[in-house]
Amino acid sequence: MRRPDGFLDGAARALSTRLASGMTRRSFLGRMGGAMLAATGGAAVAAAVRPEKSEAFHFCGHIWTTGSCPNPLGLPRIDKNGYPLRPSDGHPIDNLGRAVNGEGWAVDGSGNRLRAPDGELLPRAPRTRICEEWTNEHYGLHAVMEGAWYRCCGGQVRKLVDCCSHSKKRINGDASLTGYCFNGRRVFCVMYYDSGLKC
Amino acid sequence: MVETFTPAVCGSRTRQRLAIVLFAGGAVLASAALGAALGFAGGLVGTRPALIVAATLAFLAALREAGVLSVPVPQSRRQVPERWQYELPLPLWSAGYGAGLGVGFLTFQPVATFWVACAAALALGRPLLAAACFALYGAGRAFMATWPRRREASGPAAVERLVGRASLVPRANAVVLGLAVILLAVAPAAGAAVTSLGRGFDPAADGRTLARARMSSGTIRVVVNPAGDPADTFSPANAPALSGDYLAYADDEGIKVVDWRTNHVERQLDGAFSHPALDWPFLAYIAHDGDYDRLVLADLSEPSNPTSRRIASVRNAYDLGRPSLRGGQLAWHRIGRHGSAVFVQNVTTNKRRAIKKTDVWQESNPALTTKRIVWVEQRPQGSYLRMRWLGSARTKTLMHVKGRKTFLWTTALSGRTAYVTKWTPSTRKAVVLRVNF
Repeated sequence: MRRPDGFLDGAARALSTRLASGMTRRSFLGRMGGAMLAATGGAAVAAAVRPEKSEAFHFCGHIWTTGSCPNPLGLPRIDKNGYPLRPSDGHPIDNLGRAVNGEGWAVDGSGNRLRAPDGELLPRAPRTRICEEWTNEHYGLHAVMEGAWYRCCGGQVRKLVDCCSHSKKRINGDASLTGYCFNGRRVFCVMYYDSGLKC
Repeated sequence: MVETFTPAVCGSRTRQRLAIVLFAGGAVLASAALGAALGFAGGLVGTRPALIVAATLAFLAALREAGVLSVPVPQSRRQVPERWQYELPLPLWSAGYGAGLGVGFLTFQPVATFWVACAAALALGRPLLAAACFALYGAGRAFMATWPRRREASGPAAVERLVGRASLVPRANAVVLGLAVILLAVAPAAGAAVTSLGRGFDPAADGRTLARARMSSGTIRVVVNPAGDPADTFSPANAPALSGDYLAYADDEGIKVVDWRTNHVERQLDGAFSHPALDWPFLAYIAHDGDYDRLVLADLSEPSNPTSRRIASVRNAYDLGRPSLRGGQLAWHRIGRHGSAVFVQNVTTNKRRAIKKTDVWQESNPALTTKRIVWVEQRPQGSYLRMRWLGSARTKTLMHVKGRKTFLWTTALSGRTAYVTKWTPSTRKAVVLRVNF
């Protein structure tokens, strides 16, 4: 059976332009946050959470709500299967944050495999999924990658992905939200996948 | 003491000098022995708790000396037994007086510094170093037996003049103790002292002998450094393992076991073998068998009939690394794309357990003794040298290296000293670090 977010993947291709220009979760929450702060008289602070500036709070497409899932290099960029990518250029990385080739071997900037002091090739470090393995090991949860929504970031469609669990607490330490999770699960942390599709 | 070491008491100036020398010797030896005992005890209880105790005591003592806090100092309110002068020969009583005052706790303690020094010697955890430091306490005792009369013919008058200035001592002592608190608080890794031993990788240790591999003009050699003896070099040789006078290493033909003192080849295993671990007569190694890597344990006690058995086997997409063998326990790692683990197996009972297993990090390169195991944990933030008692679930971090450009690699362990390779792939620089804990 096709995963629900798989349907969204397909829909995103057709709807990317509309999603990028319409009222979005980011812009909605950003405007709500701005209005609330403005109501309390914090005009200067309110300016900082205008939707256009919201990426400053977390990453593009996601404002300061649920935090990033644990990841090697600070931003939870993943490939379509949930494995970690280097946030700056989308190159696959292992769990130690090293660039790897197609077979998972650590490589240097020229693509040559890294070697140990004795000249032998270094073993492959683990490369496991951010939600299913990283989050589960760090927090002892049975988290799964479920809900997704889409934003336009850097001229391409970004899929924002919820890592969902039955925990009533999210990674921030406060109460978790239902978000785009289902079957009673709630959002524990978030990740993103840059589709490469123009928007 | 100044009043005691006079020609009148000793019998003549010559005997006076002899008594002072023996007193000094007794004091220095006794204090050094106390330091060695404390250092040894610190090695048993662990340096981190002793360091915390030392810092706390130094803080309390500084408050006491500054007059902020009124705390009694544990002490024995006795002086040296005067009757010894009349009952014992001069060499005995003078050396005995020195020993009695040198150990510190058999006499008055006007300041609390002695007990801070005791806790600091515990925190060192190294008997020889603690003995050398504590010997200074005995030297100070001996110095004070002669120095007050430097410009004064009368010993008692000199002592009285010194006592008159005693009010300065607590203030100076408070300042010194305050500095001690700061130094103890910033002590690196609270007890784990890291020293670079220079170029090399793949350390192997047994007792005070260290072997390591070195790359030299494209050839890998093994250098054995016995304590106090000149180094022995074996070339071409790689991946050393030590067990007493035996050295195992890998070369193009397989694995050789030699007596490193005589260079005599004891055993030779030809084939696609690498990464030996030696606990004579047992040898563990990795056998490369087509698509598989196998961890094999061989018993080499019978030269004509060596036996071997397979301990673990993985497809060569996995890595079994460099095993470690000591006291009937075999440790190794398994790294794959889906996780990594460090295992220990009792080679007699075949009981195996995972020391650390993870889906995320890279746990690798264990080394063990009969009591402890160390290994390297690599994370994106850096490499960590971990240590655990074999009977415990508690893990201690001995040191770490930040970042991804330089990381920790292979390890060795002997007593309370760990060795680890620090490797920077971009510069191809590998050094062996010694970590005393």
